[in-house]
Amino acid sequence: MNWASLKLLFKHEMRMVLRSRRTVVTSLVLPAVLMPGLILGARYVQRQQAIQLDQTTFHYAITGPWADEARRLIERYKTAAEFRNFNLQEEYPANPDQALDDRTLHFYVRTMTVSEADLAAQDDDDTPTLGSQPVERVTGVRGLQVVFRGSQQVARTGAERMVDLMRSVRRHESYSVMTSRGFPSHPDGILALTASNVATDSQISGSNLGRFFTVVLVVWLVAAGSIVAMDIIAGEKERGTLETLITSGAGRTEIAAAKHLAIWTVGLVITFAQVVYALIYIRLNVIQLPDNFEIDLSAQSIAQLFVLFVPLAAAIAAALLIVSAYAKTYKEAQLHFFPFFVGTLVPALAAVLPGLKSRSIISFIPLVNVSVAAREVLTGRPDPLMIAVTAMVTSLTAAALIRYSAKLLTREEIVVSAQHEQAVLEGGEKLFQRRVFQWFTVMWAVTFAAVTNVPLLQSTRAQVLFNEIGIFLLGSILMIWRYRLNPREVLGIRRVRWQVWAAVLMAVPAAQVVAVAFFRIMNTIIPTPTEMLRELGKQVAPSGMPLWQMIFLMAILPAACEELAFRGVLLHGVRHRFHPIVRCLFVGIVFGVFHYTLFRIAPTALLGVILTAIAVMTGSIFPGLLFHAANNSFAIGMDAAGISLNRFDWGTYLAAFGVFFLSMHTIWRYGKGH
Amino acid sequence: MRVDPSGDAPVVVCNLTKTFLDESRGTIHAVDGISFQCRESEVFGLLGANGAGKTTTLRMMSTIITPTSGSARILDHDIVKDPAGVRRSMGFYSASTALYPRLTARETIEFFARINQYPEDKVQARVNSLIERFGITEYAGVRVEKLSTGMKQKVSIARTIAHNPRIVIFDEPTIGLDVLNALEVQKAIHELRSDGRTVIFSTHIMSEAEKLCDRIAIIHRGRILACDTLAGLREATGLHYLEDIFLLYVRGPA
Repeated sequence: MNWASLKLLFKHEMRMVLRSRRTVVTSLVLPAVLMPGLILGARYVQRQQAIQLDQTTFHYAITGPWADEARRLIERYKTAAEFRNFNLQEEYPANPDQALDDRTLHFYVRTMTVSEADLAAQDDDDTPTLGSQPVERVTGVRGLQVVFRGSQQVARTGAERMVDLMRSVRRHESYSVMTSRGFPSHPDGILALTASNVATDSQISGSNLGRFFTVVLVVWLVAAGSIVAMDIIAGEKERGTLETLITSGAGRTEIAAAKHLAIWTVGLVITFAQVVYALIYIRLNVIQLPDNFEIDLSAQSIAQLFVLFVPLAAAIAAALLIVSAYAKTYKEAQLHFFPFFVGTLVPALAAVLPGLKSRSIISFIPLVNVSVAAREVLTGRPDPLMIAVTAMVTSLTAAALIRYSAKLLTREEIVVSAQHEQAVLEGGEKLFQRRVFQWFTVMWAVTFAAVTNVPLLQSTRAQVLFNEIGIFLLGSILMIWRYRLNPREVLGIRRVRWQVWAAVLMAVPAAQVVAVAFFRIMNTIIPTPTEMLRELGKQVAPSGMPLWQMIFLMAILPAACEELAFRGVLLHGVRHRFHPIVRCLFVGIVFGVFHYTLFRIAPTALLGVILTAIAVMTGSIFPGLLFHAANNSFAIGMDAAGISLNRFDWGTYLAAFGVFFLSMHTIWRYGKGH
Repeated sequence: MRVDPSGDAPVVVCNLTKTFLDESRGTIHAVDGISFQCRESEVFGLLGANGAGKTTTLRMMSTIITPTSGSARILDHDIVKDPAGVRRSMGFYSASTALYPRLTARETIEFFARINQYPEDKVQARVNSLIERFGITEYAGVRVEKLSTGMKQKVSIARTIAHNPRIVIFDEPTIGLDVLNALEVQKAIHELRSDGRTVIFSTHIMSEAEKLCDRIAIIHRGRILACDTLAGLREATGLHYLEDIFLLYVRGPA
């Protein structure tokens, strides 16, 4: 390493950063102005809305067979302290529905007979709960319905407050009935209930903050670092200055190290600036902390957090440098940035999961280890040994990434764009190989955005149909058409020997048993919360769906569409890029990432690796398609029959592994290469 | 062409080859066993059509890309074994080597002098002399992004020779330039030769090669078909115009 060159290059990079108006404004000036502006703005709007609602007089009507009684109850209870600002003005329209349309009423209260109430309860039942368990509603009682037009915010708010009022009426009236029928005291008086919290305010606040501390810092580090990283290689490549620099006397290692140092420095400075801004806003009362919020950080705790986050910032900077190096242009780097951003957030959320401790294998998983260790520091239970291990693992990761980024700058396809420009001109297969990642990134983003934001896609059926047909099937067809790919090659339409089909069928039950054994072992290292496993089970086999529909939606359709997309199109796109083993891992991981939920990613990625291996060994997607469909059907069948694979002894697991190994060997033996 | 790898010529290129693997076209020999050597104080021209292998050859010589086989030596520095030494000994200029828009002209020249390890105590004097020589005194403190194309061209040449290299490579330097700016570049090349430097210059413009080059190598499909002075090429072919000579070598006798 030539230190003089490194110093000169670092100074040069920092000068470029500081002279970039865009960088300075977006990373330092905007957050300083925007954050308090947004907070104060939101608080102002909220206050104005509250004032407006308090000043609003809600016009309502009461209809139905026991309107008079309802009127008396409303009059009696609306004077309670909690409804003091609920101004009501009763109206007497001839047609309340018409009055709602004309906006002369905000809502009306409809009293119902017993039969009307039972009928209404079928559609929208206000089922009471005892603890967390729903209990049967008493039948044969009168009903009450608040009718409003939800498209008007004021009407909606008024109706919600009226529902609250009527719930209060119900509670107090039922207590009165109980007392009048001989209940010896007020019903709330049957048990003296108190809570005694032995944790200090500092520990409680630390626990709450610790869960999200790493995520927030990672968001700042990635966001701040990316502003520089995108420009520092991809931008330079686009402008032609990278070629100027690499033809100078500076070595590639010094160039990569200086760029890395610049991203690291900017990431740390901007993150530090955000922390300072936040502290200033707390001090100025712009950000209001919850009552009893108290963080008691000693100098030692601050030092421990420093030891954890400085190497993490270095690792993130190196990863950002690599992302930027792979992009040909600034715009392309921006496209790569989003999946990277999400990819760092998922492990950073590890501290949210209950039960994870740093004194476990967790300490060797980069980013996850920092998240868990930081939570322990903030809750006042630091483990110095594991903090040292975590810092060492993170530092080694950073060093490996920096080394890799320096090697990237020696690769011709990274620094010279001529070959790729040719691909753009020629289009077709060559261009597809370059664009395949972008396509899958967009597909992932669309699926994620749609599933999390579109209410129509909240049911399992709608989600499966949208993902499988709308994204995977149509996306694959679109890519084949757009890049004039040969469907025969993409699908691997070729004769597959009968031994392969037999081995695939033999491998399915064995793979399920092996997978269970694998996760039992993993569970001893990283314990998985039972609640999460239950959620995972629900997603694999949702309740309330007929078996035939479940087999079609959860086994056959995903097998067909996902094999076409992942083992067909994606594998075809990367077939000249990686070593076959890396290809299997890569396609498997991408397949896993498309399954979003944290605890689904690992099992589906494992399944993806097996399916890709079958596709690579046979040169066709169809044996994998059979495996996929049979595997999912088998899991659904076992669930329906109530059979659990957890009950087997380790001898059975070992035998299953033998069968699985034999099946894979047969596939390899009679697959493409033979 | 026969070269003496152990000779004392400042630039010796011996059987340099670059092969690319293309998915649809198979193996492509972008440069196929090229050999030549350049003398002190000469302008050596690589003349060829687009895609002939000129840029690939010069990129290998400037260590941007590594050769598949063969070797090249620049002032006793091997391009594979000592790439940093090669880069410090030469200046590389091409249409794709841009300037940092947020640096001033002075800062640009200073930065490239320092990064190429020009003696620290002489940097300022060197920068001042280059600013004066290229007539950019008035604009020395202006950011490059605000300069005209002609001024940028001058700054670019100044940064290429900021560390006073003995070898300077120009890869199609006049591409995309108007006549006046192209003339400025040609003038700079002339001056560099007069200063005793070796200039390697690639172009597909016949008039430029005729005007500037002491010796011309005609390159086609990755091979050198002929290499001599203009007079030597005329004598060997019996033709007067370089364009005719070029076509004769590339297409064969009419």
